[in-house]
Amino acid sequence: MASEKKPALGSAMVIGGCGFLGHHVVRLLLRDYTCSSISVIDLRCTRNRRPESDGVKYFEADITDASKLETIFKEAKPDVVIHVASPAAQSNDSISHALFKKVNVDGTAAVIKACQATGVKALVYTSSASVMSDNRSDLINADERWPVVRGKDQSEYYSETKAAAEELVLQANRAPEAPKLLTCAIRPSGIMGEGDTMVLYHMINIYRQGRTGVQVGDNNNLFDFTYVENVAHGHLLAARALLLTHASSTVPLDHERVDGEAFLITNDQPVYFWDFARAVWAAAGSPLGTDHVKVLPRSLGMGLGFLSEIFFAIIRKPPTFNRQRIIYSCMTRYYDIGKAKKRLGYRPLVSLDEGVRRSVKWTLEQEEKNKVAAAAK
Amino acid sequence: MGTATKALYFLLHPNQLRSIIQWKVWHEPVHRRDPSKETETEKSCFHFLNLTSRSFSAVIQELNPELLMPVCLFYLVLRGLDTIEDDMTLDNKVKEPLLRNFHETMEQDGWTFNGNGPNEKDRELLVHFDDIIVELKNVKKPYYEIIKKITKEMGNGMADYALNTELEANGVQTIEEYELYCHYVAGLVGEGLTRLFVESNLANPQLLVRMDLTESMGQFLQKVNIIRDIHEDWVDKRRWWPKEIWSKYVDNWDDMFDPKHREKALQCSSEMVLNALKHAEECLFYMAGIRDQSVFNFVAIPQSMAIASLELVFRNPAIFERNVKITKGDACQLMTESTQNLRVVCEVFKRYARRIHKKNDPRDPNFLAISAACGKIEQFIESIFPTQDPKQIKAAKEAEVQPTMDSLEAFYLICSAVSVLLLLGGAMVCIAWYFGAQVDQVFKNMDIKTTASAIPSIVHEEL
Repeated sequence: MASEKKPALGSAMVIGGCGFLGHHVVRLLLRDYTCSSISVIDLRCTRNRRPESDGVKYFEADITDASKLETIFKEAKPDVVIHVASPAAQSNDSISHALFKKVNVDGTAAVIKACQATGVKALVYTSSASVMSDNRSDLINADERWPVVRGKDQSEYYSETKAAAEELVLQANRAPEAPKLLTCAIRPSGIMGEGDTMVLYHMINIYRQGRTGVQVGDNNNLFDFTYVENVAHGHLLAARALLLTHASSTVPLDHERVDGEAFLITNDQPVYFWDFARAVWAAAGSPLGTDHVKVLPRSLGMGLGFLSEIFFAIIRKPPTFNRQRIIYSCMTRYYDIGKAKKRLGYRPLVSLDEGVRRSVKWTLEQEEKNKVAAAAK
Repeated sequence: MGTATKALYFLLHPNQLRSIIQWKVWHEPVHRRDPSKETETEKSCFHFLNLTSRSFSAVIQELNPELLMPVCLFYLVLRGLDTIEDDMTLDNKVKEPLLRNFHETMEQDGWTFNGNGPNEKDRELLVHFDDIIVELKNVKKPYYEIIKKITKEMGNGMADYALNTELEANGVQTIEEYELYCHYVAGLVGEGLTRLFVESNLANPQLLVRMDLTESMGQFLQKVNIIRDIHEDWVDKRRWWPKEIWSKYVDNWDDMFDPKHREKALQCSSEMVLNALKHAEECLFYMAGIRDQSVFNFVAIPQSMAIASLELVFRNPAIFERNVKITKGDACQLMTESTQNLRVVCEVFKRYARRIHKKNDPRDPNFLAISAACGKIEQFIESIFPTQDPKQIKAAKEAEVQPTMDSLEAFYLICSAVSVLLLLGGAMVCIAWYFGAQVDQVFKNMDIKTTASAIPSIVHEEL
């Protein structure tokens, strides 16, 4: 890309640009695009901050604060807004539910309003592939024609709020309030990469504690994991497509349309669930193959999960182990990203293999740094 | 195998015997040759076909009558070329013009060749090549032109290789060279066959637009053969595995066969398998373009055998010591399955992809890439025969909204059963707890507890 002319994105803003995905979006903006300016809004702008020389402008703000948001928009004057901010979907209690609702739904509504009020041309929203999952049924090579699971069918409140926000964003496309604003949503599946403190961190811990020896289910279930740089790349392709549509005088044909549409983004390499875990363990240094692995049938896992739930219900504590986890590890969930390939020209930049190697290396280095820091104290 | 050992083998492997019987008894060819109506030269052609080919003669003879003779002759002409190329007793000065001009030589009435060395196994074919020439003259013009075109390209390709002394001495270097070699020995044959199928209207003309699919068919078969025959070729002092791949694992080619380096050699073979696996989806796609059952059988049987062989050689140390091949029972089962339809062949591919996945070893540097390649095969099959239909899923969701009385009753029934279980189970746990059982430790010590605790965060798309 270096030798070619980099495509232009005008003035770009990344909301959540200090987060895991967001800082990769900023990195790719600097690497692959020409921007007249780059601004970032985040709750706190200390971590994942670019060096001063990159010229990225940082604004600290809570996105649910609509008036503050609008002030910043007026100052930064973005043409394109990439909205990736979202709380980590880790816990499932009422406090985090309130947070999901506040940031994902109300925050996104405020972002849309600010876009509409300040003449933003394009808004790309980070949704989630999980909006199509009811967390029970398999999703086999599912594409965007599959229904979004809402309300009582959606057992994960996080996904419910992502879906609600996605709906708001897509409704804002060419809406009467600002007919020139074009929007689209990106639905990534299983993001992992440098900066990820969840997926890989947990998996590497399992290896550290020597608990790689159990497999639940037959491991024939395919799953989509996506390297973060590819997700960021998908966002920017979408942003670029929206800007091109914005510049053209005609509305694109239905089968070419990007505005008002949702796009699944994966590594286009579904792998067997436990294979992914084993690849992470191998990259972290595990010398073991699969000879030591005991296979626990799904039904037995479900039985144990059920007993655990009963037990924890009796002692009135949230279960650390339950049937939902067994279901996840045995569920088939992979997607057909033909739409993103055709309409966005999306192809993953980095293979899953390479993505795992890079991400695990980063996680291990991070651990080392923390150890050194702790020792220095 | 002696009769006694054979009997014992089948006693221990009844499924193998069953597959063989199933194929022998129940296989009904779509078309059958009628020798009573054949001329002497036609009979001679089939005689040489049976003599020179084990795997192809049966399927060729079951082909649609429109293509029966053209494909048979195409095969014999290429086999003739092969016999010249393979013969190490022939001087290059004789060999080169023979190869380069074969497409014209095969038009000379009465031409025969008895210059092959006495040990060349198919020398008889060239000794009696005049019979084949007689029949070539009877082939319809468009078919003949296809055969001639490919013969010319193949002859020149072979001549280039025969003269390439560097290749002779050092073997194949890069992956590009490796794939070019596969193109000359298999891709070109595939091209000729596809043209014949389309010309006879037995395949979708789109296959001519997507020639890359045809190329994949040939590449897949040839690569599997090259991986499988590694030991045999090594003994014959030939090497087709590209240095670009094996040099990542061993310093010298001979190390591949040294038990000291067995794990490295296996990892190297994994990369070769991975390189071959990438063609599998396009092979399935190609087969979707075939319109005639006999042609389908003709193309599907070798492909099924290839994916099964690939599974057999994958992480199999025996390939460095001897020639391995799939059992006769498996071959018969594969032939039965390959003579039905695309769906059944897809099931075969899926079955073997999963077996490859099961043999995959996390310590192998190609582990995740192989997992993804197997996943890709499954995904491709889903794209032609989807399990899920979004319309049905939507309809089912809407239907769920109003539960009928029956399902409500069932729901209450289940609820009451579950609550009884809950009460009893809970009571038991409580009593045990009261008497000092550390029930919470059960779950704390459970391996899966923490293994599984990582799962929700993997599944969630946190940002």
